Amino acid sequence: MARELLGGAGLYFDELNKLRVLEPGVAQQTAELREECKAFVDKIAEFQKIVGSLIELVDQLAKAAESEKMKAIGARNLLKSIAKQREAQQQQLQALITEKKMQLERYRVEYETLCKIEADQNEFIDQFIFQK
Amino acid sequence: MRLKTSLSKEPKHKELVSCVGWTTADELYSCSDDHQIMKWNLLTSETTPVAKLPDIYPIDFHWFPRSVGGKKQTHAENFVLTSSDGKFHLISKMGRVEKSIEAHCGAVLAGRWNYEGTALVTVGEDGQIKIWSKSGMLRSTLVQQGTPVYSVAWSPDSGKVLYTSGKQLIIKPLQPNAKVLQWKAHDGVILKVDWNSVNDLILSAGEDCKYKVWDSYGRLLYSSQPHEYPITSVAWALDGELFAVGSFHTLRLCDKTGWSYALEKPNTGSIFNIAWSIDGTQIAGACGNGHVIFAHVVEQRWEWKNFEITLTKRRTMEVRNVINDAMDLLEFRDRVIKASLNYGHLVVSTSLQCYVFSTKNWNTPLIFDLKEGTVSLILQAERHFLLIDGGGIYIYSYDGRLISSPKFPGMRTDILNAQSVSLSNDTLVIRDKADEKVIYLFEALTGKPLGDGKPLTHKTEIVEIALDQKGLTNERKIAFIDKNRDLYITSVKRFGKEQKIIKIGTMVHTLAWNDAANILCGLQDTRFTVWYYPNTVYVDKDLLPKTLCEKDASEFSKNPQIVRFVGNQVTIRRADGSLIHLSVSPYPAILHEYISSSKWADAVRLCRFVKDQTMWACLAAMAVANKDMTTAEIAYAAIGEIDKVQYINSIKDLPSKESRMAHILMFSGNIQDAETLLLQAGLIYQAIQVNINLYNWNRALELAVKHKTHVDTVLAYRQKFLEDFGKKETNKQFLQYAEGLEVDWDKIKAKIEMEIAKERERAASTPPVRTSVTVQH
Repeated sequence: MARELLGGAGLYFDELNKLRVLEPGVAQQTAELREECKAFVDKIAEFQKIVGSLIELVDQLAKAAESEKMKAIGARNLLKSIAKQREAQQQQLQALITEKKMQLERYRVEYETLCKIEADQNEFIDQFIFQK
Repeated sequence: MRLKTSLSKEPKHKELVSCVGWTTADELYSCSDDHQIMKWNLLTSETTPVAKLPDIYPIDFHWFPRSVGGKKQTHAENFVLTSSDGKFHLISKMGRVEKSIEAHCGAVLAGRWNYEGTALVTVGEDGQIKIWSKSGMLRSTLVQQGTPVYSVAWSPDSGKVLYTSGKQLIIKPLQPNAKVLQWKAHDGVILKVDWNSVNDLILSAGEDCKYKVWDSYGRLLYSSQPHEYPITSVAWALDGELFAVGSFHTLRLCDKTGWSYALEKPNTGSIFNIAWSIDGTQIAGACGNGHVIFAHVVEQRWEWKNFEITLTKRRTMEVRNVINDAMDLLEFRDRVIKASLNYGHLVVSTSLQCYVFSTKNWNTPLIFDLKEGTVSLILQAERHFLLIDGGGIYIYSYDGRLISSPKFPGMRTDILNAQSVSLSNDTLVIRDKADEKVIYLFEALTGKPLGDGKPLTHKTEIVEIALDQKGLTNERKIAFIDKNRDLYITSVKRFGKEQKIIKIGTMVHTLAWNDAANILCGLQDTRFTVWYYPNTVYVDKDLLPKTLCEKDASEFSKNPQIVRFVGNQVTIRRADGSLIHLSVSPYPAILHEYISSSKWADAVRLCRFVKDQTMWACLAAMAVANKDMTTAEIAYAAIGEIDKVQYINSIKDLPSKESRMAHILMFSGNIQDAETLLLQAGLIYQAIQVNINLYNWNRALELAVKHKTHVDTVLAYRQKFLEDFGKKETNKQFLQYAEGLEVDWDKIKAKIEMEIAKERERAASTPPVRTSVTVQH
């Protein structure tokens, strides 16, 4: 009776007979809600952490991918330029070869004239012996 | 010959190096676009920054010349630096900017001191050429043109400048109104020129990727094959024997005739500037990638008879005796600068000392210190050798004693080369640079001018001179080529009367005397000619063509040079650089030997053995020159010169020694000498008769009148001559003396008989005196 009266005035007693302004059922539900909320927040936090690390990982991957990509581009360019480099090198070597060839030609001419001198001198010796 | 290059690991400059210049043989300055001036010490291999010049982008750089007005400075003290902002800067050795002068609109592309250091020329992008005084005062604007002038060079006498104008090269004298020489030199823009003061040759390089060598008249001497990249720099070595060429990743060492000794492909980028060190042993190049490249000239070779010497390293020579393959290593304390191998001796000059080796003993050289380091020329003769450095000319004996040091007014030793100096055992001759028609003659042993001290003067400029090496001092001959490429020979001894300068060849490019006999060889047009006995021209000029040996030389291509003539082997360098060896007959040298020791019988036997007209002709000339008429008669008979044989026979029948001598002189064409000889001997009639025989009537009459004898003889012969030719007397003198004189042939003949009898008597009464001159019956 009195409980109803109190209830009418918005006042309730709980199991420990303490005076409450909220209906015990509701209060209990509220408490439960709070608990649940807490759990939810915790879970969310954990989720965020996990997602954070995931993002980090993905970022790292992205970076790695990027650098690999640059490397690939570089390598590709290098590959392209190596052909040119080889060409230049070839050109240089070719120039050196031409130079050597010219030197060789000079030596060949000199050798030929020396051979001629040798032949002349042999002929001279033969002639000399013959005339004697 | 090869270049040994060295590059530091890391470039010392951050930007491209634009110019380099040597101060001493071991110190180099370089300027770069990073505004730094660096000093490179090669002895300690240290590089130190000298100065930082903010806002200046250097383009060209030139040290003030070292020798000014005969006074020698050991170091260059300051330099001119041109920059892209239109200024040039005079900067001291310590790097202090002493003066900055606004010179051109746009960049100043080059700045050069003249050889005396009295003027500076700058050229700019604005197409102007300006001449400045030593202190940087503007003297004149020499040229204004529409295109930038990329490079400029002074002529050897500092009287002209050579500059580029697009594809053209232009030589402009400083004097106004003088003739300007201009020619198209390249198919692309010309980037660099250089003009050597010793050999007077011009180098040019351009964007058509070629380098070319020109003479100072603008004639092309050499044009290179096109390279892959434009040639960005060319530079002469000071002595004018070598030059260096720089291009992208390319450094080349070339001979003065253009062919290339060596090619290097260093990793340098474009070489924008090349500088030769003062001693001519190394070069430095300013590289586009911030490096400074150094290159040493090594592997020079010297050959003489059976010895072959190679400079393997800077301080090491390798001697190879090809007969037994023996090798010797010669080590030197300092860098080898010049060397010469000849007459059994090797003379090597290093930066401080001179070494003299004998080919018999390589272990114990003779060493003496040099007054000044950089020897620019070594010439050898059999008994001594000559060193030329910046200060003077010195003749040393092979035991290291200083014999003499000749001097002449206005002497400039830095421009003497093997073409303008010649040495023999007793004589030294030098072609003057101030007046190229003049040759100074010196006694080698005293260093004094020869004879009356008057130099030998020719009518045109002389290009090359050479002295014969053997024989008597009195008969020393000099052969020289003049500007028209004519070859002349004359005697060095010039006592009293003027000696004749006789032309013996035309279109002669090059010449050389033999080392062991007075045989001359030369390249005449397309023939290789050997003058077995050049002295023939003084004895019997008609005989000269018979004493020659000629071979076709068209296979040697254009402009071959004779390197040496040792023994009976001639070495010629073709324009492409290949050496050609030719052998000449060994007999003339043997003949020379016999004659020098007066073995006439042996000489005749040799000629009979060889059976060669040339040999007989040489023998004939030699016999006449030495007045051995018996041999001369045999020799002339062998070559079929019957008229001369007859004349020689008639000489033999002459009554006295003097008249025989006189007729021998006449035989070689020395009529003046013959007459003088007869007059000195008192043989007046014979002198008159000689003139009559030569139809030299005036002189005959003059002598007759002067000595009051045989006037009627002269008149009688004159009359007979006129009658024979059906002419009348017109000569006033003869008319005058003929007046009232009856020609009586009997009387004249009697008189002549008497003269001859008198001469015979005289010859008989004077006992025969032994002289060096003998006429054999």
